[in-house]
Amino acid sequence: MTISSIDAALRDNAPTRATDIPAISAVGVSKRYGSVTALDRLTLDIRRGEVFGLLGPNGSGKTTFMRLLAGYLLPSAGRLTVAGLDTVRDSLAVRRRIGYVPESAPLYRQMRVGEFLAFMARLRGLPERAVAAAVERVVNRLALGAVVDKPTRALSRGYRQRAALAQALIHDPDILILDEPTNGLDPRQIIEMRELIRSLAGRHTVLMSSHILSEVEKTSDRVAVMLDGRLLGVQAMADTPDLESWFLSLT
Amino acid sequence: MRTLRILFAKELNATLTSPIGYTVAAVFLLVLGYTFSLTLFVTKVANLQYIFHQMYVLSILLVPVLTMRTFAEERRSETLELLLTAPVRELSVVLAKYAATLTLVLGIFALTLIYAVILGRYGEPDWGPIYAGYLALALHASLLVAVGLLMSSITESQVVAAALSIGAFLMLWFADSVSYLLPPPFDSFAINLSLIGHFKPMVSGSVFLSDIGYFVTASMLALFLTTWGLAQR
Repeated sequence: MTISSIDAALRDNAPTRATDIPAISAVGVSKRYGSVTALDRLTLDIRRGEVFGLLGPNGSGKTTFMRLLAGYLLPSAGRLTVAGLDTVRDSLAVRRRIGYVPESAPLYRQMRVGEFLAFMARLRGLPERAVAAAVERVVNRLALGAVVDKPTRALSRGYRQRAALAQALIHDPDILILDEPTNGLDPRQIIEMRELIRSLAGRHTVLMSSHILSEVEKTSDRVAVMLDGRLLGVQAMADTPDLESWFLSLT
Repeated sequence: MRTLRILFAKELNATLTSPIGYTVAAVFLLVLGYTFSLTLFVTKVANLQYIFHQMYVLSILLVPVLTMRTFAEERRSETLELLLTAPVRELSVVLAKYAATLTLVLGIFALTLIYAVILGRYGEPDWGPIYAGYLALALHASLLVAVGLLMSSITESQVVAAALSIGAFLMLWFADSVSYLLPPPFDSFAINLSLIGHFKPMVSGSVFLSDIGYFVTASMLALFLTTWGLAQR
């Protein structure tokens, strides 16, 4: 928690204790492309340290919400804050606090894995003396040692996903945004990714999206259901013995 | 400034590890070498005006090949999303791509300095127009690269980006031709928009601030529009 984020919280009449500020807060957030509404007046708080799952079919607005949080898109209406910082007004400060993995897990094809991670570390503002250690840390954490000298274009889907997650973790961000992190993985890789996401909880706030019920069920502390750009409901997994029935009742 | 340096190094590395830059350089130097030898042996005059005009035309055809991938490729492979969600300003991204591509183009131009050295060694060239000619080429390259980036930033297809760039360059080249069809004051505006109209005086040794201003202003406008376009998302 930085001084500026506490100042921002005070300025906006948010709760005064730093720990009370939600990791992510959306108030009436909409995103429109001409006459098409991709996200419709979404209001949501995500607590620090939790794994929060966004559940919904393709085109339900999950990716739009994540892109708004990551600063890739600008909201058409409403207010979106990350650790009390406004994603529009304090865009650069917000981007320093988040790690983001887009759905396609894009990597620079001409770079080797280690080179790519070092580039992302520098881009995210790590001092030069800390780059090598940060790369080593994420390579070990995500078991990328076998491919660290390989060009990213030669990686399998599982390694691509891990390398993309490694770049998001390279600066040890408060908040991780993972868009369909298990997409295209084989069953073993899905289990590994699931365990990895669970291991990140507590130290990091994790927001992940999926259109697969069981993925969200096994990884998330709380879950939100989205459809046609609207938030239909939020529920703690502990209070949801049957996610499938709840999902069907909402949609 | 550090971010700009990091992005510049990444862009330059991408340019130098791609075969496109080397192919463009090879074609450029092959055609120019042929023209230089032919002109020198036929006219026996120690000047580079023919070469400069040929470099002007070749740049219009070949710079789009270098700029087409800058944004279009990042957009297609979705790495632009990585770049723009990092704590980086859009202006830094644009300036890094501009500086790296311009460095490559100027590097290719610099290889033609060998012709000036040969003329100096075996003849007595007038150095004024040669210096002014290289200044004109550098400014010309700046404008082409900036407009090429703008075209690449509005599409995810490299071919479309290259086609749009060549179209824009040709329209700028022949902008003065339209002046005959336009009433005042639009006719003089069209004349002043002409690329060749500002290039020609410089390669003959006449350097005017208005010509330099044209290239600098047009380059800055294209870079501004590219940055503005990236920020509208």
